[in-house]
Amino acid sequence: MNNLKSTSNTITCVIVDDDPFIQELLKDKLNQYFPEINIVGLGNDGKEGIEKIIVLKPDLVFLDVEMTDMTGFEMLSRLASINFKTIFITSYKHYAIKAIRFNALDYLLKPFDLEELKNAIKRFKNNYNAIGSSYKVDIALNNIKTKNISDQVLSLKTQQGDLHLVLKDIISIEGDRNYSNIYLTGNRKELVSKTLSDLEDLLSNKGFFRCHKSHLISKNHIVELTNSFNILLSNGMKIPISRRKKEAFQGWLIKSNH
Amino acid sequence: MNAERHKTFINLKNIVSISRGDSGRMLKYLKQFQELIPERLEQLKDALAENDRRQIRQILHKMSPQLQFFGIQDVVNPIQRLEMEYESMPLFELNVLVNDLIYKLEGAISEVTKTIQTQFE
Repeated sequence: MNNLKSTSNTITCVIVDDDPFIQELLKDKLNQYFPEINIVGLGNDGKEGIEKIIVLKPDLVFLDVEMTDMTGFEMLSRLASINFKTIFITSYKHYAIKAIRFNALDYLLKPFDLEELKNAIKRFKNNYNAIGSSYKVDIALNNIKTKNISDQVLSLKTQQGDLHLVLKDIISIEGDRNYSNIYLTGNRKELVSKTLSDLEDLLSNKGFFRCHKSHLISKNHIVELTNSFNILLSNGMKIPISRRKKEAFQGWLIKSNH
Repeated sequence: MNAERHKTFINLKNIVSISRGDSGRMLKYLKQFQELIPERLEQLKDALAENDRRQIRQILHKMSPQLQFFGIQDVVNPIQRLEMEYESMPLFELNVLVNDLIYKLEGAISEVTKTIQTQFE
């Protein structure tokens, strides 16, 4: 591994979590299975986390998503610069995981499955020199600040690297088994290895509606309803509305216009 | 609550695994449970008495990983439901779910205490 801030091949790491049990457990797992990781500091809440990160300049931070004094995202936004990689840690919680997945960030579920921990460390090592991770954190922080949902950026991992798409540029998405074709403004198209259901889960509360088993559409790009079962989109595509989705579609359209 | 309903509440498999037979390390996890969970249980009871749904969610969210680690039976699904539906769940149902968790936690605390007394003292 090259260019780590530490002098040797060790990875310096700070754990920020306000639960002493989680601190102990993660410390034990890292010490036992990852001798190359040197835990240089523990932060008992967001405020202490900031202090430790500034002073200790770690390579890697395990960061709790929800602490008593602030969220992990708030903690990151209070740092002048982010020169480390972050692995978010969280108990099961739908909206937090959704926000992390929307931004394609790395995360682990407490109380930490060993295989998942190994994979996360492996990804950290493989990507340490890539600029992606801090860039994705910056995008995530901007998404939180952005008031207009359609200006938010969806991050997706692809074989060619990370793909960052502004929501207002997405016209529709067509599912094709384990893949999806994303139709964008300017006649662009991207193929991603996510199912339509995965994308629906990330986008359903952000102005998108699954009007058909194979199609997810953006409200911003509906030009007209050509008849009761077809939608004309801004790129000229005609998308069918399935019979069983018709009522829900009308309800969504009315709701999203208010 | 009758703590006799269940034979056992905790499963020490994870603790044995992470401790690799080191009794000092096992004791550390057991004592930490004894230290953290009773306090949070009292907070949970207070929050339930005050119908403070947000507080109930927060306490359960915080406790959840430790309870999973201690293998406490059937707590994951009710906690996930309470976390996701804490605002909308009917009060009666919320009371039933939280009271069942309280019952399991009381049983688990008593079992952890007994384990420390019989195996480590």
